[in-house]
Amino acid sequence: MSTAGIIFSNLNEDNFSSLTEDRTVAAIPFGCRYRLIDFALSNMVNSNITNISVIANSKYRSLVEHLGAGKDWDMARRSGGIKFISPYFFAHSSEYYSHRLEALRSMTSYIRQMKEDTLVLSDCDIICNIDLNAVISMHHANGADLTMVTTPCKPDFSSKVSQMMVKTNGDGKVQRIARSRTFMQSNQELFINIFVFRTAFLAQLLDEAIAYNFQSLTNDLIMRSPESQNFYTYCYTGYVAPVSDFQDYYRASMELLSNENARMQLFGKRDRPLFTKVHNSPPTLYREGASVSGSMIADGCVIEGTVENSILFRGVRVGRGSVVRNSVLFGGCYVGNNSLVNCVVADKQVLISDNCQLSGHNTLPFYIEKNVKV
Amino acid sequence: MYCKKECIAMLLAGGQGSRLYELTQQTAKPAVSFGGKYRIIDFPLSNCINSGIDTVGVLTQYQPLALNEYIGNGAPWDLDRTRGGLSVLPPYQGSKGSDWYKGTANAIYQNIQFIRKYDPDYVLILSGDHIYRMDYAAMLAAHKANKAVCTVATIEVPMEEASRFGICNTNPDGRIYEFEEKPKKPKNNQASMGIYIFNTQTLIQYLTDDENTPGSSNDFGKNIIPNLLNNKERLFAFTFSGYWKDVGTISSLWEANMDLIGERPLLDLSKTDFKIFSRNEARPPQFIGQSATVQNSMISEGCVINGCVRNSILSGGVVIEEGAVVENSVIMDDVTVHAGATVFYSIVDSDSEICDGAVVGDRQGDKDHIRVIAKGTVIAAEEKGDRT
Repeated sequence: MSTAGIIFSNLNEDNFSSLTEDRTVAAIPFGCRYRLIDFALSNMVNSNITNISVIANSKYRSLVEHLGAGKDWDMARRSGGIKFISPYFFAHSSEYYSHRLEALRSMTSYIRQMKEDTLVLSDCDIICNIDLNAVISMHHANGADLTMVTTPCKPDFSSKVSQMMVKTNGDGKVQRIARSRTFMQSNQELFINIFVFRTAFLAQLLDEAIAYNFQSLTNDLIMRSPESQNFYTYCYTGYVAPVSDFQDYYRASMELLSNENARMQLFGKRDRPLFTKVHNSPPTLYREGASVSGSMIADGCVIEGTVENSILFRGVRVGRGSVVRNSVLFGGCYVGNNSLVNCVVADKQVLISDNCQLSGHNTLPFYIEKNVKV
Repeated sequence: MYCKKECIAMLLAGGQGSRLYELTQQTAKPAVSFGGKYRIIDFPLSNCINSGIDTVGVLTQYQPLALNEYIGNGAPWDLDRTRGGLSVLPPYQGSKGSDWYKGTANAIYQNIQFIRKYDPDYVLILSGDHIYRMDYAAMLAAHKANKAVCTVATIEVPMEEASRFGICNTNPDGRIYEFEEKPKKPKNNQASMGIYIFNTQTLIQYLTDDENTPGSSNDFGKNIIPNLLNNKERLFAFTFSGYWKDVGTISSLWEANMDLIGERPLLDLSKTDFKIFSRNEARPPQFIGQSATVQNSMISEGCVINGCVRNSILSGGVVIEEGAVVENSVIMDDVTVHAGATVFYSIVDSDSEICDGAVVGDRQGDKDHIRVIAKGTVIAAEEKGDRT
């Protein structure tokens, strides 16, 4: 038995105003040196899934650049590896797809022919470091057609990204699926946008979707009378962070700093490393006068000032006398001397001159677009 | 299949590096860690690819396990090529008997077949002992312009140290008329860097002659270069100016690491147009905790710092617990310094553990008194640093 993977890189990108201006959701930088897709990809790679299709529909330049031939994920393979599925693949569709189903429909013949009997579908906007092998084993043990990966319901979990609540009968068999949280009270789990399908079953669903011209995989096919289907959940109790809009993004970033468990669960699993594109930056240089605390820092930075409770991506420079606090600075940002940066998310290559004072609020972080000079 | 290259490089990486003591007990010198995330061999390999040389033979002999594993198929340096690329060349058993590499010249001699395969016009000879960034393409251009048969890269060293090097005495046009290996009274301070470009035919001829000379030490500096000069061949010096450091001793290795930090670092690796590439492990970003103090230091991916780090270079995955102090030291991969431990003027090799209360090295130390902790050592609480 073997498993293939499909990653949706564009779904839900309208939830972000600015971070996806020029990139797919999958390519949003996160956690100093990663992009959101690294979580979905590494989960698959670490579970020996070596045939992975990445579906994109637009703005995918940075994603293509990031993935390359897949070498940094050990996925530059003769057979399998990472396949990039761009919209040109969809010959019979005149418009860019906006739903999973549209994207998958165009892959129907591929899915029908694939030799893998199990298929994992993952989005990029909920991050976790999960052992998919455990999910797949349970999927097979249950003899399921579909296993939905869920997490126990948390009241503060973003409602934008996971709109699906699943109620089970206690042994994981799906009873009801609903969009609203108020609808169901007990025994409910939140779907985290990872599906494990029996490949033949998915192909059958797609045939049906084409026949009836359905629009949505979840609304039209999965949510209809799930209790009579062979659907199960796998409830993942490890750390899960939704990154479905800008607020979520900032919250998840800050949680990396405040929550050691989050750091350990996402980055610290020795047998499940998180892979990403290698940049060959030198190690980070802390100059005399640097004062850094509670921060996560990528390679290639040069720090002369104060950095507190912040995330610095590769190659960030913080000048003498400057203070960076509660902020996320993307790759190549430059902070001059004697400036204050507080509760800011600065996109790539932002230049903050000397003697600037920039501050958002932790409930309303201030976003600075790519390449902007302040 | 015929695959012609204009210039290929032969990298001598078989040296033991016995003056690095514990650090090279199980590892060949070129595979010794440097500057947080690098190994010494990253420098010549990156120089090659940055100079447009895409075919490199790496000659290994001493303790090659870690080195072979590190260089692999050359992918980190973009040297995994269909035509050319990186080849590891260990000593081998031939039809007429076998031998270890007897000297630098003999090592190349034994691999003449490899050279011939690429039919190069020029062969660049490198060693894996130095930290430097150099554009070999400029040296090759000078070699061609001078119509030289051999070009020796040289660097100005302080006059008082000149007697430790091979010294090139040149005419004003750069032509070498005399080469003195470690002269007692050096006539100038143009030291050979152990980097040579040869016309291939000349190289093969002199290597073959040298091989047939009984009693030769089969060494470039001692035999090949003097023989070329005796025959009045056109030898030229190519003067390199820039950072260059032999890291063959504990004190020079420590010193070269320290050159990366300080008010004005002598060696700046942040230039993006001449990157030094290295094999990257998938490590998370470094985390600097609430109680940490980090000053004048270089810190790599995967480190977790909660203690005090000053004037030090930390490789990947190093853990410095709250209350631990590390100063003026080089800490290699995956070392843990527990709370209450102190490390001064030391080089701590990978996977070691410094327990609570241990004092490693001397706060008053200096470059000539560096404590070396071998790979995988556990320093217990009451142990004191006394070995240098």
